[in-house]
Amino acid sequence: MKGLLNRAAVVWDEVGPPMLYVYMLGMMAVIAGILTTAMTLQYVEGELPCPLCLLQRAAMLGVCFGIIQQFRHGFSYTNTGVSLIFSVFLLIVSVRQTLLDIYPRPGHEYVGSAVFGLHMPVWSVIIAVCLITAIAFQLIVWGGQSPSREKRVSHYPSLRAIARVLSFYVIAVGVINFVSVGVQCKFNQCHTFSYQLLD
Amino acid sequence: MMFIVFAVLALALVVGGLGHRRLSLCLIFLFFVLAVKQFLWEIYSPDYGFRMPWIQVQLMNDNAVSASTV
Repeated sequence: MKGLLNRAAVVWDEVGPPMLYVYMLGMMAVIAGILTTAMTLQYVEGELPCPLCLLQRAAMLGVCFGIIQQFRHGFSYTNTGVSLIFSVFLLIVSVRQTLLDIYPRPGHEYVGSAVFGLHMPVWSVIIAVCLITAIAFQLIVWGGQSPSREKRVSHYPSLRAIARVLSFYVIAVGVINFVSVGVQCKFNQCHTFSYQLLD
Repeated sequence: MMFIVFAVLALALVVGGLGHRRLSLCLIFLFFVLAVKQFLWEIYSPDYGFRMPWIQVQLMNDNAVSASTV
């Protein structure tokens, strides 16, 4: 029995680190997909994001920052903490926005169209809860495993290539959003009527 | 202000992507502080402050409580 457990521990030390990187790649791919959908709705459908929507995008990019650092410098609790704090920030902003518009009043209704019957801030609450749960699960499964900290993503060439492409894509999304906010808000307060730089 | 928040975020992402860990962590911390400040500024209302009176439930008076428990 003890030998079997030792054997299982050896196998887990081998497969654990690449599984962790696949797991984090999955998390970042989902966030990149959500941000891409939000940007498509903005640029194709003409639905300008509200200020709190922009902060939710920024929080998601903050979560991605922590994951990119995991790929760049290896697994550490500092990077996990960065992702976690931005997940909590996303939850606070999205819950506040949901509560802000939950009771219909003049000038207070959900911005943009509903996706599967739910508006963006409500989706953001679900996304934030999923992210916090995913990070907790990550710490439970890989938190105590030292090989995860020793074996960087560079040990696995195919995973490294995917991580590089996805990291570059997320950084590009961040830069595009920065330019977009400049066009939408300039140095003024943001609103959803028009792009202030183009007026 | 939102422009500055996103400028710091984009800079943190680019610097972090280039591998400058300490500088990028400083920038992401600065971004976090600015984002929290921006959030508090956005939700503050001159009339309500940070409260949300439109979702406050009416407090039940003692009579209603005693009537419901009968």
